[in-house]
Amino acid sequence: MHKRAFGAAAVTGVAALLMSACGGGGEAASPSASTSSASETTTAAPAPTPTGTEAPVRDAAADLVIWTDADRAPILTKYAQEFGAENGVKVAVQISVDLREQFKDATKVGKGPDVIVGAHDWLGELVQNGAVAPIQVSADVAGKFSENSIAATKFNGQTYGVPYAVENIGLMRNTELAPTAPKTMDELVKMGNDAKAKSGGKVTNVLIQAVGKTGNAYYSYPYLSAFDGGIFATKANGDYDANKVIVNSLGSVKGAQVLADLGKKKILSTNVGDDNAEGLFTSGKAPFFITGPWSVPNAKKAGIKYEITSLPSLAGGGQMQPFLGVQMFYVSAKAKNAVLAQEFVTNYVPRKDVQLALFEQGGRPPALKEAYDEVAAKDKDVKAWFEAGKDGKPMPNIPAMNSVWGPLGQAAADVISGKDAKARFDAAQKEIVANIAKG
Amino acid sequence: MAADTTFRGDPSARSGPAPVWVVVVRWAAIALVVAFATLVSWRLVEQGNSLFVVLIAFVVMAVVAVYATRRAVPLKYLLPGMLLLVAFQIWPIAYTAATAFTNYGDGHLLSKEDATANIVANSVQEVPGSPRYRLSVAVPEGQDPATGDLTFLLTDPDGKYLEGTAEGLEDLPADGVEATTTGKITAAPGFVILDARQVNQRGKDLGEFAVPKGDGGIKAIGLSEAFEGRATVTYDESADKLTDTSTGKTYVPRDASWVPEDGQGEAFPQGWKENVGWENFETLVTNETIRAGFVKIFTWNVAFALISVMSTFVMGMLLALLFNDDRLRGKGFYRSILILPYAIPGFVTALLWMSMFNQDYGLINNITGLNVDWLGNPWAAKAAILIANLWLGFPYMFLVCTGALQSIPGDVREAARIDGAGPVRTVRSIIMPLLLVAVGPLLIASFAFNFNNFTLIFLMTEGGPFTSGDTSIGSTDLLITYAFRIAFSGVNPNYGLASAISIFIFLIVGVMSYAGFRRTKSLEEVN
Repeated sequence: MHKRAFGAAAVTGVAALLMSACGGGGEAASPSASTSSASETTTAAPAPTPTGTEAPVRDAAADLVIWTDADRAPILTKYAQEFGAENGVKVAVQISVDLREQFKDATKVGKGPDVIVGAHDWLGELVQNGAVAPIQVSADVAGKFSENSIAATKFNGQTYGVPYAVENIGLMRNTELAPTAPKTMDELVKMGNDAKAKSGGKVTNVLIQAVGKTGNAYYSYPYLSAFDGGIFATKANGDYDANKVIVNSLGSVKGAQVLADLGKKKILSTNVGDDNAEGLFTSGKAPFFITGPWSVPNAKKAGIKYEITSLPSLAGGGQMQPFLGVQMFYVSAKAKNAVLAQEFVTNYVPRKDVQLALFEQGGRPPALKEAYDEVAAKDKDVKAWFEAGKDGKPMPNIPAMNSVWGPLGQAAADVISGKDAKARFDAAQKEIVANIAKG
Repeated sequence: MAADTTFRGDPSARSGPAPVWVVVVRWAAIALVVAFATLVSWRLVEQGNSLFVVLIAFVVMAVVAVYATRRAVPLKYLLPGMLLLVAFQIWPIAYTAATAFTNYGDGHLLSKEDATANIVANSVQEVPGSPRYRLSVAVPEGQDPATGDLTFLLTDPDGKYLEGTAEGLEDLPADGVEATTTGKITAAPGFVILDARQVNQRGKDLGEFAVPKGDGGIKAIGLSEAFEGRATVTYDESADKLTDTSTGKTYVPRDASWVPEDGQGEAFPQGWKENVGWENFETLVTNETIRAGFVKIFTWNVAFALISVMSTFVMGMLLALLFNDDRLRGKGFYRSILILPYAIPGFVTALLWMSMFNQDYGLINNITGLNVDWLGNPWAAKAAILIANLWLGFPYMFLVCTGALQSIPGDVREAARIDGAGPVRTVRSIIMPLLLVAVGPLLIASFAFNFNNFTLIFLMTEGGPFTSGDTSIGSTDLLITYAFRIAFSGVNPNYGLASAISIFIFLIVGVMSYAGFRRTKSLEEVN
């Protein structure tokens, strides 16, 4: 009798264990799946993904439903209410923690929102799943935005949204450890080593850049771009061409060699990754940090005196150019309130006051030129971020980019830890081309 | 409910009618189930999902038949379990199996009709050089705004008023027309102008409405703007072909996508879901990377699961034996402390261990003075994973062993002592066999769980380090992480292939568990 009761309890225990295990696995799968793609790097919320990952339930009473992430929701709510008041309708702003996936899933079963706020590199994926609708932005409205940000909202020649912010990485410098900004990587290394020597052991690193054991293609790309290398060649109309991968082009390999060299000099290391990069910089252990606007709040909190400048240039090549990430408003292809969704996105989002308000939240340079000019005059950080990305190219928004992140990141990590640059990037090229062929 | 009524319903124990409150509670519960099912069915009908309505009807009939009558006593116990089994075990497995025969994945989520309609809709381009109009949406006076004939009251860039209907564009007499400074018409004789909410409610009509002009039409953008556009892609249903009128290219359906008929250029990105038969399984057995990596990964996978079970069991059991000793004081306190690793969410622990194993900045190298590249060296990474899993898993084993030990009667031990057995002998010959009978099946469950321990591997190493010069086969990959990468490394996540692989893993784990259960059965027979 005793034994049987125990058996029953044990079975229940195992069931509970299995169930909790399944739950854990599912949760882990979704954030990690998206880290491997670009979204996480560009939107780059520094905080780890919250554990509650349920999709919001569409507010049925509203005349317009907008989904966004938790950071932007408060400010957007204010302006959405204003839009509602102007037009005599009710607008609901709802928070989605895993917007890209949840929007896709909810739209498929007709429960999605009318408008979402997201990164431009989701575009290809959303188009191929029939989740977003094109919008007709007039030429004069488009002309008010920076050229790059408008280019990012296009896919196969059609426009799918209105941008509001541009983000990119740059060089953050601890001005107490390195008073002047380096122009070249060699200068940077020299300044960093001097700072290290002077500090008496407090400064341990010259440059902080997230690499990690599996690498990071987003932060590695600027090295390739300095030598006109990159990931995809462009077509005649300016779109990226998925059939022309240039990961092992002459320029890309030159960039890889710089990575190898910095790895050999212990400037870059696979032991610095997303998990510890920011901590190393904010604890004053390094004078230089390659990062984006998302690191500013924590640097301020830690009391670091910092300055933001453009990425340095590399010997024998040009300046390192980062990828641009563009934040934009999309209209759902299955919008229940298509009219108001279009009205909001095409007529309301391009307004200067809205763009300025959205800027307050994230600190990313606004995409609307007029709004940017006003902000840049007051905020030197914003100007610096913008300048750092001035000549950068939008991150590819074609679905083929999904098959690049893993192989390119790993190749960069391997090169930094001592593998031959040419051989490793040849292999990465081969793997990427094979992945793309797989479809 | 079930317990009460069934107890009374047992023929052997039947002694007259059940008390009134039992009857009331039983029928209230049945009514609740029926009401809930009705509500759910209602919503499903609204969504046009008839299959599920039929399924729910069957479930409700079963519930009523079993619980409303005095017959079918065993079923009264079994039904809830059977329903849960179907809902949470059989259904997912069946769904996975069905998915394995499709190309379901990004770019292949829609039906062919939806994909085609989407391509055509997305191809609408503004006619070059055409003007933008200020727009007010109206219906003729006397008609209901919700159903009346849509009319566009337009103002062209020169300030000229126009009236657009489904028939075409006409001049609108300027008499009596009022407009804002930007030109948007606010009043026109003979028309009722719709407000924002009214226009929005006609969204579906507006989506299909265009004022014909040239080979395109004037369409609304939002509330107060209209543009002249035309679809550049047309669908010929009889020939099942798409034509891009701007380039003259034709597209035919092939492999669930619209591809250029002449084979030159790119397919449309919107594909559709279709059955692909055994294709995913064929890929599985013929793919070279899969074959190359399989043996290596399978070996490590089995080793990982076995070592994890063994190490956690041994450590948990030793601690359980120690804390089961009557002479030890404060057992409750120690036991609670030991359960702590189990109480912390696994993925937090995994990330914590990852940072502790960092070669330069991690706690472990710092304390021990070693310089091991824990996460970069293939063997060290394997060790790191096993250490972290030991930490995560031993409290569970400690718990079940403690429970099992306490259920071993004290007189058995006493008898052993009287027979002259020392502590080691007692443990080996008396306690262990009794313990294993109770814990054996749990060890198999733990093996099956660890065999698919995706979370730990993915959070700590993502399957890496990758020493083969690409990202296909990692040193700590389990079949499940490997499958995940194969299915999701392409341009588009391929859920069909992922399902095929998971069926494969299911079979492997199933066979191994079966063999294991046979072994524990023999343990019981010895006993």
